[in-house]
Amino acid sequence: MLHTKVIDIKEKKLSILEAENFISSSEFGASIFFSGTVRNQNDNKSVLGITYDSHDALVIKSFEEIYNEADQKLNIKNKAVFIEHAKGYLNLGEVSIIIAVACKHRDEAYILSRYIIEEIKKRSPIWKKEHYQNNDSTWLKGNPIINEKN
Amino acid sequence: MKIQIELFGASRDFSDQNFLEFDLENNSTIKDIRNKIVEYLDKNFRGNENFKKIVNSSAFCSENNNIISDNYKITSDEKIAIIPPIGGG
Repeated sequence: MLHTKVIDIKEKKLSILEAENFISSSEFGASIFFSGTVRNQNDNKSVLGITYDSHDALVIKSFEEIYNEADQKLNIKNKAVFIEHAKGYLNLGEVSIIIAVACKHRDEAYILSRYIIEEIKKRSPIWKKEHYQNNDSTWLKGNPIINEKN
Repeated sequence: MKIQIELFGASRDFSDQNFLEFDLENNSTIKDIRNKIVEYLDKNFRGNENFKKIVNSSAFCSENNNIISDNYKITSDEKIAIIPPIGGG
């Protein structure tokens, strides 16, 4: 069971309550909620906020692939997963991502939650532009998506 | 043929619009697009090396949302997206 969405922050904020409602089931004995928030420091710079940019269709595709891989790679078949990522300008402390997972047992819930966030960092086309004082801003360096150049 | 390149992430700094548009010969490939963008940066941003690095480390995405290789042949009026190095979460 999977829910994925890219949320335009101008329209709506991410909600842990919605995540909880989605994964809640008496089938599962363990739930993990992960949220990423905008913090005030990065590389010794004071950060005022972050603009998130997203290729929505590819992001959703990557979330689905990561979910399906958990079947094969982690052998976690019975699960509920809720993934939402924000796009647009977020102030300090605002939630940029929620990953909620529910599994039968805690071991697999912890493994699955960690797997999803690490794979998103590597594969989902989302970009961050940090904003500083004096209207200064910069796009953060990221990881290239693997592409064949031949 | 006319090709539109949708801009994302750091490549948004290449233009005030959300895309670049190029005239390319039929049977052009992603490699040709890379070269066209570099030419455009030479002309409009005095060959900004940081921008060129972004182009060279970017992937490209087809209109039907697949990451495509440098020898992918572009069809007429196809919309291609540039995917600079990523880092969300």
